Amino acid sequence: MIHVRNLTKSYDDLRRGKFMALRGISFDARAGEVFGLLGPNGAGKTTAMRILSTVLRPTSGTATVNGYDVVTQPSLVRHQIGFVSANTGVYDRMTAWEMVAYFGRLYGLKDDQLRDRMEDVFERLKMNDIRDRLGAKMSTGMKQKVSIARAIVHDPPVLIFDEATSGLDVLVARALLRTVAELRDMGKCIIFGTHIMREAEKLCDRIAIIHDGQVLLEGPLGEIQREYQQNDLEELFYQLIAARAEQNPAEAAS
Amino acid sequence: MNWSNVLLILNREIRDQLRDRRTLFMIFVLPVLLYPFMGMSMFQLMQFTQEHPTRVLVLGAEELPMWIPRTDVGVAGGAAAATASDELQPIPPLVERVEDLPENNLVRTTERTDDEAGWRFNPALFDEGDKAELLHAAVLSAAPDLALGTALGTAAAPWLLSSLEARHELAREWLKDGTYQAVIVIPPGFKTRLRQLHPRVDARTRDDSPAVAPSQAPDIQVWHNTAKKKSEIARSRVLQVIRKWREAIVQSNLQAAGISAREMVPFDIEHGENQDVADRRNRHAAVWSMLFPFVLLIWSLTGAFYPAVDLCAGEKERGTLETLLTSPAERSEIVWGKLLTIMIFSIGTVILNLAALGATGVFLLTRIPNLGPPPALSFVWMFLAMVPVSALFSALCLALAAFARSTKEGQYYLMPLFLITLPLVALPLSPSFELTLGNSLIPVTGIVLLLRAAIEGDYLEAFRYFGPVVMVTIACCWLAMRWAVDQFNKESVLFRESERFELGAWLRHLRRDRDLTPTVPAALLCGVLILILRFFFGLAISPDRVNPLMQVLVPQLVAIVFPALLMTILFTRSPRETLLLKRPAAWSLPAAVLLAVCYNPVAQMLGAAVQQMYPIPPAVEQAFQQLVGQLPGFWTTLLLFALVPAVCEELAFRGFILSGLRHMGRKWLAILLASLFFGLTHTIAQQQIMATITGLVLGFVAVQTGSLFPAIAFHLTHNGLLVAMSRLSPSVIESSSVLSLLFEVSAAGEPMLRWPVTVVGSVGTMLLLYWLHRLPAPKTEEESLQEALEHQGHSTAASSL
Repeated sequence: MIHVRNLTKSYDDLRRGKFMALRGISFDARAGEVFGLLGPNGAGKTTAMRILSTVLRPTSGTATVNGYDVVTQPSLVRHQIGFVSANTGVYDRMTAWEMVAYFGRLYGLKDDQLRDRMEDVFERLKMNDIRDRLGAKMSTGMKQKVSIARAIVHDPPVLIFDEATSGLDVLVARALLRTVAELRDMGKCIIFGTHIMREAEKLCDRIAIIHDGQVLLEGPLGEIQREYQQNDLEELFYQLIAARAEQNPAEAAS
Repeated sequence: MNWSNVLLILNREIRDQLRDRRTLFMIFVLPVLLYPFMGMSMFQLMQFTQEHPTRVLVLGAEELPMWIPRTDVGVAGGAAAATASDELQPIPPLVERVEDLPENNLVRTTERTDDEAGWRFNPALFDEGDKAELLHAAVLSAAPDLALGTALGTAAAPWLLSSLEARHELAREWLKDGTYQAVIVIPPGFKTRLRQLHPRVDARTRDDSPAVAPSQAPDIQVWHNTAKKKSEIARSRVLQVIRKWREAIVQSNLQAAGISAREMVPFDIEHGENQDVADRRNRHAAVWSMLFPFVLLIWSLTGAFYPAVDLCAGEKERGTLETLLTSPAERSEIVWGKLLTIMIFSIGTVILNLAALGATGVFLLTRIPNLGPPPALSFVWMFLAMVPVSALFSALCLALAAFARSTKEGQYYLMPLFLITLPLVALPLSPSFELTLGNSLIPVTGIVLLLRAAIEGDYLEAFRYFGPVVMVTIACCWLAMRWAVDQFNKESVLFRESERFELGAWLRHLRRDRDLTPTVPAALLCGVLILILRFFFGLAISPDRVNPLMQVLVPQLVAIVFPALLMTILFTRSPRETLLLKRPAAWSLPAAVLLAVCYNPVAQMLGAAVQQMYPIPPAVEQAFQQLVGQLPGFWTTLLLFALVPAVCEELAFRGFILSGLRHMGRKWLAILLASLFFGLTHTIAQQQIMATITGLVLGFVAVQTGSLFPAIAFHLTHNGLLVAMSRLSPSVIESSSVLSLLFEVSAAGEPMLRWPVTVVGSVGTMLLLYWLHRLPAPKTEEESLQEALEHQGHSTAASSL
């Protein structure tokens, strides 16, 4: 469903010259699985997901979503995805219903089709009580619900969650994870970017650990846990990074 | 582009803005309240200033003449003169004593006696009787025995009796501290002088007093204080009164000499309302033709700016933009949706402001003299002009707002935007700024001039310049629009993060991280730099001192090629790529020369058409002829006007600037912008148009052949032909059989190409341009990507069908 090959992204930086946010990452994600993109803050997760959602253009490398190239066919790619970000992106002066309807129409849904979809989504996400509430008056949890509703209203095959649980309390975060699992069970391909390893342990089928713009490890979660004989992802993650730090001076010397 | 998406976005944005209280207040409430309030305060203010009296001190009143009209009122001049003038015509006094003046007319200070007050200027000396109330008089005299000095027993007596200098000193003090706003100084001997100048008195008194030559005679002085506004008003009022008084004395003198007033003033000049040929409705058009365009432009800018900042920078700030960008809506659809929203608010603001201003004008301002209601038709013109103006400002605001990181940063851009647009609006409001081709090509200014012409009823003139103004406006809108779309495509703009700025680090970054060819901003900077340098060279070189070396060579080298080469060395990695110093496509050099030959008749035809529509002013034409007349020999001229510009201008415009601009990803936009810069370096508007057109061809040649050399060859041939043709005279043509085949001599004695030559040239130009079009032109990375994206657009359209 999603194929990423040797993706790099560099920014101009006044002091350092070219700053490499991604140094050639590759991974694949399939339909019906949650692919966890794990890494600390600043590892390049958001950059990778922004490239997949076509708002950023890669410096080199390719990425395809459902067969469409993110660089040359961005508008086709955008039809395939729903994007949920940490800052929710909910309009202050729009109600939940208006907001979801707006994006549904942008995705090209016809009016009757849209109404059915929206009733369904509002029911499933239990947001009928905030239908007519303005974005400015919503709590973070409500906003995140609206954001998810907006992302799935057009029933896209691919969903991208970028740190979607940040700022949510335990209850709401759990509900969100449950929703993600349901979506996976419906056969969606889900990219789930997070720095919270516990979420990944619960949810992900496959993971890629990113650090400093590079993929340190990629594979099915179970296999990785077996191979490294470490069930605790957090511990594994720490080991990997420490090993990396040891390796680096060696690389520099050679 | 999908218009239903545009409509969807438009709908949402409008609803969003209408739910914003700040916007509603700025756009709907403010104007409705503003104008009635402004009109009211203006009305009040005018009444206030009109009714404010000023105080004037008359020094040396004892020197005032002289003949007292036989009334009961005491008059300055005193009883002494009365005996001498029994039989003479009385002349109106300048000031007269009034016993029963209202209390508030009396000015008292501790240092003065009551006697200074209780005087007034002769009401007969005012054009309008009630104006006399506004000029209060006080009188200071040295003569204690005169009527005005009766109460000199008071404390003020010592200074009254002291010297003239002391009195003058005191008057100056009063003038400075604002006790009085003006001082009239009647010099000693003034009375005598007037008497001597009187025809009949003169004859009788010549024996006993020595004649004073008029030139030596003392004059009346009016002291005033420029530092105080009120004093200036007092001065102008006093001057009017004194002039009127002087006129009365002249009348009296004439009468005494037996000359009737009619003889001295054989006719009057009537220039009042009855002589005004303006339509009654258009009578006040002049005022409104200035006020309305101003209001239109200011409010369409303001009305566009606030929504623009909220719709772009605000959305970025709230994090909703990223969500919108991940939706299938195309960037251009988003931009159009936002642009139309901004335009609607801009137009709405203008309409409300105009309506409020118009209503205020009709109900309130008509009461102010010289300001009638606006002509009804002016509203029609305003509405017609509103759409392009709003479109232009909306696109501009949108692009700026998209560039801004936050609403706060967005607000910062309002001031510079105003500073740039204000002169464009204010300049054409001056009466000397007229609708000419050059002026009509200035964005915004052209619209204002056109509007002014239309409101003043000058339709023919307005119609003549309608085309250029509309074209320039559309071009500007398009450019601003493209800029806005580009802003939305640029990730560095969409995800701009605050970075500590350091000049040194930035300069190092420019040098260290430079690419093979210049960036778009570098190219634009180079263009602007060239224009500025060129402008200052134009100022420095006076046109009457023609020195071709200074006129052509130095500007070409210093203002055009130098900045381009310097920037090439500093900011690019490959001068060869940047300046297109590459092997041209096969056969393209001879093709370029041939194209220039074929293009020449086309350019002649176009030039003649431009000239026909917008003739060059005679003065400019003359200066140009003078320049041509003083040109050096043929080969030097060819070198200066063909070879030097061909190399220098091509290196700059088709080299550095075009290479940089091509990173925008749109070949024709890059060619057009480079041509505009090229055109603007020329001096006369007519030349600029032709140069821009030629620049398009040159740009096309350079892009298609992938090399600068064919462009240089074209430029050299083109200019060379122009130089050669300027040398043609009817006699030369007649003496050569080849030339007479190509040229005929027009009725005005000018050599002209025969029409078949023009036809052949046009066909040849078309064929050669087509040949160039077929060449496998090298593309930049951005152009290839743009093509892929556009192709993708087609495939989505096809798949959705």
